Amino acid sequence: MLTDRKLRGTGSPNGPVPLSFLGQGLAAWVDRQARFLFLLPAVLLLILLSIFPLIFSVYLSLVRFQLVPGGFRFRFVGLANYRKLITGIEREHFLGLLASPAPLIWALAGVIAAVLLLFVIRGMVRGRSTLPAMAGRAVFALIAGTLVWLILRTLTSGGRPGSLVTTMVYVFIGITVQYWLGLTLAYLTSQHLPGRRFFRVVFLLPMMITPVGIAYMFRILANLGIGPFTPLWEALGLAEVSWASDPWGARIVVMIGDVWQWTPFMFVVLLAALESQPLELLEAAMVDGASRWQTFWRVTWPQILPVTSTLVLIRMIEGFKIIDLPNVLTNGGPGTATESLTLHAFIAWRTLDIGGSAAVAYALLFLVTFMALSYINLVHRRLAGAM
Amino acid sequence: MNVRRQLRLSLALLVATVLVSAVSVPAASSRPFAGVTVNVLTFTGPQIAEPLQRRGPAFTRLTGARINVVTVPFSDLYQKILTDLATGTNSYHAFVFAPQWMVDYVTPGYLEDITMRVSADRNIQWADIAPFFRNFSASFGGRVYTIPLDGDFQMVYYRSDQLRRFGLQPPQTWEDYLRVAQALHRKDLNGDGRADFGSCIAKKRGAQSYWMIWSVAGALLQSQGTNQGAFFDVDSFAPLTNNAAFAEALRIYTETTRYGPPDELNWDVGDSRAGFMTGRCGLSLDWGDIGTLAIDPKTSKVKNKVGAVILPGSRRVLDRRTGQLVACNSTTCPHATGGVNHAPFAAFGGWSGGINKAAPARVKDAAYAFMSYMSQPAQANVDVTIGITGFNPYRRSQFQNTNLWVKAGMSAAAARNYLGAIEASLGSPNMVLDLRIPQNQRYQQVVLDTAIAKLLAKQITIEQAMKEITDGWEAITNELGRDQQSQAYRSALGVKR
Amino acid sequence: MSRAQALTPTGTILSYLILGGWAFIVLFPLFWILTTSFKLPVQVYDGPVYLPYVDFTPSLHAWRYIFVDLRGDTLRPLMNTVIVALSSSVLALALGTTAGYGLLRFRYAPRYGVIGLFLAAVLLAAVAVRLRVPWQIALASSLAVFFLARQTVGRRFRSSVGNDDISFWMISQRILPPVAVVIPIYVMFQRLGLLDTRLAVIITYTAVNLPIVVWLMRDYFRNISVELEESASIDGASPYRIFRSIILPLSTPGLAATFLLVLVFSWNEYLLALFLTSANAQTLPLLIAAQNATRGPQWWYMSVLILIMIAPVILMAIALERYIAKGLLVGALKG
Repeated sequence: MLTDRKLRGTGSPNGPVPLSFLGQGLAAWVDRQARFLFLLPAVLLLILLSIFPLIFSVYLSLVRFQLVPGGFRFRFVGLANYRKLITGIEREHFLGLLASPAPLIWALAGVIAAVLLLFVIRGMVRGRSTLPAMAGRAVFALIAGTLVWLILRTLTSGGRPGSLVTTMVYVFIGITVQYWLGLTLAYLTSQHLPGRRFFRVVFLLPMMITPVGIAYMFRILANLGIGPFTPLWEALGLAEVSWASDPWGARIVVMIGDVWQWTPFMFVVLLAALESQPLELLEAAMVDGASRWQTFWRVTWPQILPVTSTLVLIRMIEGFKIIDLPNVLTNGGPGTATESLTLHAFIAWRTLDIGGSAAVAYALLFLVTFMALSYINLVHRRLAGAM
Repeated sequence: MNVRRQLRLSLALLVATVLVSAVSVPAASSRPFAGVTVNVLTFTGPQIAEPLQRRGPAFTRLTGARINVVTVPFSDLYQKILTDLATGTNSYHAFVFAPQWMVDYVTPGYLEDITMRVSADRNIQWADIAPFFRNFSASFGGRVYTIPLDGDFQMVYYRSDQLRRFGLQPPQTWEDYLRVAQALHRKDLNGDGRADFGSCIAKKRGAQSYWMIWSVAGALLQSQGTNQGAFFDVDSFAPLTNNAAFAEALRIYTETTRYGPPDELNWDVGDSRAGFMTGRCGLSLDWGDIGTLAIDPKTSKVKNKVGAVILPGSRRVLDRRTGQLVACNSTTCPHATGGVNHAPFAAFGGWSGGINKAAPARVKDAAYAFMSYMSQPAQANVDVTIGITGFNPYRRSQFQNTNLWVKAGMSAAAARNYLGAIEASLGSPNMVLDLRIPQNQRYQQVVLDTAIAKLLAKQITIEQAMKEITDGWEAITNELGRDQQSQAYRSALGVKR
Repeated sequence: MSRAQALTPTGTILSYLILGGWAFIVLFPLFWILTTSFKLPVQVYDGPVYLPYVDFTPSLHAWRYIFVDLRGDTLRPLMNTVIVALSSSVLALALGTTAGYGLLRFRYAPRYGVIGLFLAAVLLAAVAVRLRVPWQIALASSLAVFFLARQTVGRRFRSSVGNDDISFWMISQRILPPVAVVIPIYVMFQRLGLLDTRLAVIITYTAVNLPIVVWLMRDYFRNISVELEESASIDGASPYRIFRSIILPLSTPGLAATFLLVLVFSWNEYLLALFLTSANAQTLPLLIAAQNATRGPQWWYMSVLILIMIAPVILMAIALERYIAKGLLVGALKG
C-alpha cells in the first residue's frame, strides 16, 4: 500500500502558475487535505441520513405504539417486543417449531459443537490473542452453535422453520446458485464467441425490472390456471398438485424468482472483474502450456477473488432483506412457510405493530451483522488479502 | 436544461395564474369555494379514483373548488393516511378510504365530525342511504365521520345456468353451499372440455381470507341484530373464537377447499373473480363487484349466467352462555327467515369519504360539499351501475330503477336477481359490522389471517387454530388496554353504556 | 482475454448451449409480459394463449389506457424516475469512488474519543431541537462544542478505528431493512419541508447506494498497480490529478458496471419512494405496485408499465456494455 506521505504532494512545480498567492495557498491547503476530502463527503452524507433513523428505530423497538385521544403515544416497554419473539406468542412464527431431535441430529450437533470448541481453543492456544479477540471467538462460537442448532431442529421432520431460518435458507441457497451461475455466464461471455455482446445485454435484463414487477411476473408465470406452463403441468399429470400448497414447493418458487432476478448482479460485476484483469499473466500461463481449466483456477480465479468476496458480502446483506417475491407470490403462505424476516417486519409494521416490527428488524440487523462480521473475519480478509 | 425548463414552467404558471384569477374573480360571488383546492387521497384506480376525477371538473364549475385527486397503491393507503395525519404533515384535506380504518383515525381525533353538516345538508338525502351504512358504517360512537360512496358486503354468487342444469337450488345455508359445490365440482362448467371447480374462494394469506371466514362464521355467531357484535362478547370482551360455532365455521371453511381449485390457498380475490368470470367456478363468495364485472364483455364469459344470493345462513346459532350451538327459534334467532339465521357481512365496509380535521375551515367546507355531491343520488345512482367505478349500491333509490342496470347490459331477470340479493342483505337487521377497534388490523390481518392460513395448509388443527386466535387476540387486547378496546367495540356497535 | 486460445468445437457448442439456455430463461418471462400487454382481461383469465394472431387477437386496450387515458399520470412518474435515478446514481458514484479510493490508499485513524464526541454533539443537537430550539442554531452550536472539545478532550484517547472499520460501518448502513427506517426518514424530510420533492428522493437514494459504490470501487481500484501512482506522484502530480487522470480511466469497466448497478437500484426502489412522495414526485414502481388494487392484479396494465420501465435501462445497458468491454484494451495498455 502506498503511504499517504508519498501522495501528499504539494502541487506541481511545472503545473499552471497560480493566479494569486491566496489561490496558491488555497491549492496547497486543498492538496494537503486530500486524504479527508476524498472520504469526508461520503461519511458526512451517511451520518446525516443514518444516525437519526438508527437511534429512532432502536427507540421504536423498545416501545409500543398506541393511538390515544389527541394523537398517539409511545409507551416504553423495555425488551418486551424482543421477548415476544424469543419466548412469547411470536416464537413459533419467528424461530419456528422445534422438532424433538433424533439421534442423528444429536450426533451432528455434537460434531459441530466439537468443531466450534476446537476453534475457540485453537484461538487461545495460539497465544498472541488478546482478551477481546478471545471473547470474540467465544461469542462467535456461541451464536454460530445456537443458529446451527436452530436450523437442525426446525428443518428436520416434525419441525417447522420460522421466518428466521426461512430467510437463511433463501440467502444461502440463493447466493450459491447465483454466484456460480453468474460466474459461468460471465466467463463464457468474456470469451471471444461471436454474439457475446447480445448475450451480455440479454443477461442484464432481469436486473432492470423493478422487484415488485418481477414478483408479479413470477406470480402469473407460476399460476396453475392462467400461467404459460399450465398445459405442461397438466400433461405431466400434476393438474391436482399445486406448489402453492406445499411449503417447500412455495419456497422453491420464491428461490427461482430470486435467482432469476439477482444472477445478473453477480454476472455484471464478475464480468467487469474478468475484463479488467491484466493480460500478461494469462499470456504467461498460456506460454507455459496450461490448459484453459488450469489457467482459470490458477490465474483468473485468484485475480477476481477480492471482487468475488465483496460481491458475496453485498449480496448477503441484500439477500437477507428479501421481501417482494414472498410478499407478492404467496404473502408468506402456505401458512407461514415462505415468510422472510423483512416480510415478517413489514406485516407487523403495516398493521401498526410498530414496536414489534422494529424488534424484528433489529433481530435481522443482529443476524446480518453477525454473519457479515464472521464472513469478513473468516473469509473476506483472507480473500481480499490474497492479492 | 433542467433549470431552463423549470424557469419556463414557473413563468407559464405565473401567466396562467394571473389569467385564471382575472377571469374567475367576477364569478366568485356565485361560486362559494372559488380559489380553494381540495387534495383528496385515495388509492390508484381506476376504481374509486375514476369517478372522483371524472366528476371533479363538474364540481369545480358548480362551486369553484378545484379537486386534486392524489393516489397511492391500495396496499399502502392505510399507512400513508395515518403517517400523514400523525406526523402533522397534513398534505391532504380529504380521504376516500375503507371505514373499517376509521377507528384508528377517529380515536386520536384526526377526522372531522360531520354530524352537524350531514343533518343540515338536504341534498345528500341521508335517509335514502340504507340504515346499516348510515347508523353503523358511517358512524362511530353515535357521531357521523364519513359519507358512504360505496356499499360493501359479501354475497354468494352462483352460475344460474349450471344450477338449472343439475336441478339445484341456490344455497340457503352453508350445508347447502357445500352440497352445491360438491355437485358442481369436477364438472365442465364452461364447455372447454376441462373439469372445473365447485367453489372458488379467495383463501390466499395476507389477502381477503380473513373476511371470507367471517362471512361463513357470521350467521353462526350473531343472531340478535348488528349491535350484538360478531367478534367479541360486548360485556366481557372475550373473543368469540373458542366455541362450537366457530369450530363449525372453520370446519365448513376448510371443507370448501375440497371443492376448489388445487392452488386455491394462493388465490386472492382477483384470481377467484377471474375464475368465476371465465366460467371455471360454480360458486363464489365475493363483494358486489361480480355483478357489474360479469356484464363486461372485456372480462366476462358468463354474462347473464350469474345469480346472487344473500350470504348463506345457519339453522343453529351460538348460545353465548354455554359456547354450544342451539337450534333456531323465535328467541334465539329473532331475525331468521324460514328458520335460517342470515348475517350478511359488511366486510371492509364500503369506500367512504372523510375529512381532515386539521384542514383550513373553508377547505373543509369544500371537501364536505364534494363528498356530499358524490353521494347525492343524481351522481351516485349513475355511478353504481358503471363497473369501472367500483361503487356498489348502498341507497334505497338505487334498487327502484332496474332500467339503469338493463341499460348497463344486464338482462332484466339478472338485474332483478342481483338487486334482490343486495336488497335482502341491506335490509337485514342482523348485518355483521366488520371489526372496528383500534389496531383491528393486528387482530385480523396478523393473528386471524395467519392462523387461518396455517389451518388451511394443514399445519395446525381446528382446535389449535381456535386457541391460537383466542390467545393472540387476548394478547393484543392486554397490550393495548382492555378497557379502551372494549369501549371502542361498544362505540362502533352503537351500544350505550 | 485469452485471444490465442481458441475453444474446441465441443467447447464452443457447449458454451452456446449454456448461453442460449439462460438467454431463453431470461427472455421467456419477458416475452410473456409482452404478449400479456396485448391481451384482453378475458384472454388472460381463460388459461394461457401464446402467440398473437395465432392464438388470440391482440388488443391495444392496455397501451391505450396507460398512454391515452392516464397520459400525464404515466409520463410524470416516468420523468421523475429518470431524473431521480440518474442524478442519485451520478452523485453516489462521485462520492463513492473518491471515498473508496481514499479508503484504499490513505490510512484513516479517527480516535474513539473524537467519534464519541461527535455522537455526543449530535445528541446535543437532537435534544436541543426537541426543546424547540431552531435547528439551525442547534446545529451550529453543537458543531462549535464539538470542535472546541475536540482540541482538549478528544486528544486524550489514543486508540482509534481503522480503514476496515470505516468500510464496515459504511456497508452496515445497508443492513437495516427499509421498513425500520422509513418513518424516521419521513419525519426528517418532513421537518426540512422536502416531502414530495425529487430532491428528498435523490438525497436518500444517494446515501442508500453509496456503500455499494464504495465497496465495489475499492476492489476495482485494488487491481490497479501502485507503481503507476507512485511514479506520477514523484513527477509531482497532486492526488486529485492522479485520481482523475490515472485511476479513473483505468477503472472504466468497474465504473460502468457500478453505475449500472446503482442506477438500477434507484430506478426500481419502492418503499422509500412511497413515503417520500405523494403527488408530484411519484416514481414508476409505485404505479406498477398500484396495479394490484381491489380487483386483483391488472396484469395487462402492469405488463405495459414493466415494459416502459425496462426500455430506457436497456438502452443504458447497451451503451455501458461497450465500456465494460473496453476493460480489455485498458488491461492491455497497462503493462
